[in-house]
Amino acid sequence: MADREYLLSPWIRIWHWTNAVLIITLGVTGMSVHFADPNLPLVEFSLAVRIHNIAGVCLIVAYSFFVIGNIVTGNWWQFVPKPPGIMQRMIEQTRWYAYGMFVGEPHPHTPSKEQNFNVLQAVTYWNIMYLLMPVILVSGLVYLYPEFAPDTLFGFDGLLPVAMLHYLSATAILLFLLSHIYLGTTGKTIGQLFKMMITGWHEH
Amino acid sequence: MRSLFNKLLAIVGSFALLALPPMPAQAQNATAVISPEQLAKIHAGNDKCLACHSQAGVEHPPLAGMDLKKLRTLIRDADAFYASDHQRLSCTKCHNEGYDDFPHAADAKDNTTTCSDCHSKSAAIVDKQFANSVHAKNLSDKFTCTTCHNPHLMRLAAKLGDPQKIVAQDNRVCLGCHDSDEQFAKFAPEKKSRPLIDDIHSWLPNTRLHWKHVRCVECHTPAVAAGEPISHEIFNKEKAEKNCVTCHSANSALKTRLYRHLVKEEEHRLGFANSIILASSYMPGVTRHPLLDALILIAFGATFFGLLAHGLGRIIAHYIRRRKNHG
Ligand code: HEC
Ligand code: HEC
Ligand code: HEC
Ligand code: HEC
Ligand code: HEC
Ligand code: HEC
Ligand code: HEC
Ligand code: HEM
Repeated sequence: MADREYLLSPWIRIWHWTNAVLIITLGVTGMSVHFADPNLPLVEFSLAVRIHNIAGVCLIVAYSFFVIGNIVTGNWWQFVPKPPGIMQRMIEQTRWYAYGMFVGEPHPHTPSKEQNFNVLQAVTYWNIMYLLMPVILVSGLVYLYPEFAPDTLFGFDGLLPVAMLHYLSATAILLFLLSHIYLGTTGKTIGQLFKMMITGWHEH
Repeated sequence: MRSLFNKLLAIVGSFALLALPPMPAQAQNATAVISPEQLAKIHAGNDKCLACHSQAGVEHPPLAGMDLKKLRTLIRDADAFYASDHQRLSCTKCHNEGYDDFPHAADAKDNTTTCSDCHSKSAAIVDKQFANSVHAKNLSDKFTCTTCHNPHLMRLAAKLGDPQKIVAQDNRVCLGCHDSDEQFAKFAPEKKSRPLIDDIHSWLPNTRLHWKHVRCVECHTPAVAAGEPISHEIFNKEKAEKNCVTCHSANSALKTRLYRHLVKEEEHRLGFANSIILASSYMPGVTRHPLLDALILIAFGATFFGLLAHGLGRIIAHYIRRRKNHG
């Protein structure tokens, strides 16, 4: 028992990898649409649009699954940083990423059933999942049905603010994605955290 | 009493016409300059026709015993006519002989001036292009200029100005047949049923949105040089434009088509590329913000290399630590 703990139930892992594949797909096709250029297509425009629209709807379904799953299982509690000493632990965690890990200090936080995330993770994930995701999902949905966008706004097409919101939140999510993947390598070993996300077991 | 009042009104009205300012700026580059007096005369002449050929004429017929049912189908909208290309023509310039009196002469219709009588030069060019067109090949006897052009309504794109209005006007022409079984059947070869316009273009997402913001002729006619009028050669499915990035890219073809008369006004408002298009349409791939895009790419680059440097630091630190522990 001591060196192995089962932390992540199958539904979370299935949702996580579905979400990851969808977001990468949406990122690649979304960029192809945004930077459309006859000379250097990443994904051909009409194909990119078709894939993006389908993946977008799938992401909405996946997100609903995530929200419902969190409510039903009580997993949402994981995303709430717990007092006391939130600020203190946040500084500690940051210090470890910036300095401690280089000199071989041990992790300031060990994932457990009660507290899977460190504070920094909890705060970031909470913001991404409950602030940014709704923005990108709703703006994507309006983008898909532009008749719900305002007709005009300040002398520009009314879809502009919707598209801008979509583009900027996409940027934020993809920047998060980069860091997220990288921080996945900061477990005890490079692969430890990835393995946990696949098998559900945390190797202490 | 009533008729006296009407006469007074007519006199005041004609003074009002005389007092009109010179032609509005948009119609200034006319072939022949028309004085306000001449224009008032033209309007007064047209008012005679419009006394019957208008909503008011049908509701209060100036003459008894007319075929009102038929007249109802022959109403011309004065406001629309005076906003059209032919706003400064007398009705009788085209409806030549036989219309001055009522009942009209039996053969009056045969005397209608044709487009090429007045537009011989452009008609010759149009005729050649039209001859290569899908409509000319199968339907030439039924298909003439007036099948598409309502000479009482249509307005040159450059003069309409607003792209939304241009699209509405020009697509009404094509959709009038291609989105109406009744109208299509009048022209189609026998037994040819109308393919649904959205089905034919099912490869295009959100077709109805496209019909509202872009013209059929954008994809169904060949490109022409900057100053030239649009071509009348309508492409069939082999030649029609199917490549999205022709429109959906920074250097959109719409700049030389629907927006050609506006590109000179391009101001990069708020830093947007193609802001002139953005005024009426947000187009993915077209209406970007180069500065914002650059900042975002820099943010990605900085994050990527930042993480890379962090990773390298970890590797180096790892070896240093190992050497220390061993040494
Ligand atoms: C007193 C009323 C009246 C006046 C004035 C009048 N029209 Fe008409 N017009 C009619 C009626 C009614 C019809 C339809 C029945 C018919 O042709 O007898 C008609 C028919 C027409 C038609 C269709 C002919 C066809 O064969 O389909 C044209 C074109 C036309 N008028 C043009 C004009 C023009 C141009 C003027 C002015 C110079 C004018 N009309 C003045 C009442 C009038
Ligand atoms: C530039 C030439 C031109 C001018 C100016 C013009 N018309 Fe016409 N008009 C036509 C032509 C051509 C037709 C036949 C359209 C068709 O074949 O469908 C027509 C058709 C009509 C018809 C209906 C005939 C039918 O059978 O449907 C009426 C009524 C009419 N015009 C009235 C007017 C009145 C009133 C004015 C002036 C306000 C006017 N027109 C000015 C060219 C003109
Ligand atoms: C009686 C002569 C006459 C007839 C017939 C006539 N037009 Fe015109 N048309 C004119 C004049 C004059 C102008 C220019 C008006 C101006 O510049 O203000 C004009 C302008 C136009 C324009 C605007 C583009 C340009 O070259 O300035 C178009 C398009 C047009 N006519 C199409 C037609 C069509 C289609 C027909 C046949 C249904 C037709 N016209 C019949 C006299 C005529
Ligand atoms: C299939 C429908 C159709 C037919 C048939 C047709 N036109 Fe047009 N025509 C159009 C459309 C659409 C435009 C675009 C109007 C605009 O936006 O300026 C146009 C524009 C024009 C213009 C103005 C071009 C410019 O940009 O300066 C002229 C002149 C003209 N047509 C003449 C004719 C003549 C003459 C004929 C008959 C030989 C004819 N057209 C037949 C659809 C048609
Ligand atoms: C008066 C009715 C009418 C108008 C207006 C009209 N069309 Fe058509 N069009 C037809 C009919 C009927 C056919 C079928 C011809 C055939 O099958 O032989 C056709 C055929 C076509 C085709 C080729 C279809 C095929 O089977 O090859 C294209 C493309 C097309 N139209 C585009 C346009 C565009 C673009 C416009 C507007 C500028 C337009 N049409 C205006 C009636 C119309
Ligand atoms: C984005 C470019 C685009 C626009 C806009 C567009 N079309 Fe098309 N259209 C095409 C292409 C490409 C095809 C051939 C489709 C295929 O390969 O099956 C086509 C096919 C057609 C056909 C059938 C041709 C055939 O031979 O069967 C008709 C009719 C037609 N279009 C009419 C219209 C009309 C009317 C409009 C305006 C409401 C319009 N199109 C707007 C690109 C366009
Ligand atoms: C003739 C030019 C033209 C072509 C070709 C064209 N489009 Fe568009 N498209 C437009 C315009 C204009 C708009 C902006 C509509 C608006 O104002 O909302 C648009 C909007 C769109 C949108 C945004 C709709 C939304 O949800 O808000 C998508 C997606 C799109 N086009 C996809 C495509 C694809 C895929 C193709 C090729 C199969 C294509 N377009 C070909 C002109 C074009
Ligand atoms: C993390 C997920 C997502 C990312 C990274 C993303 C990214 C992008 C980007 C970069 C664009 C181009 C924006 C522009 O140029 O204006 C775009 C367009 C678009 N997005 Fe998304 N998006 C995501 C999710 C969604 C969702 C959930 C939907 C809704 C179902 C959606 C619907 C759309 C639509 C309709 C467009 C317009 C082009 C098209 O129809 O494909 N997106 N997206």
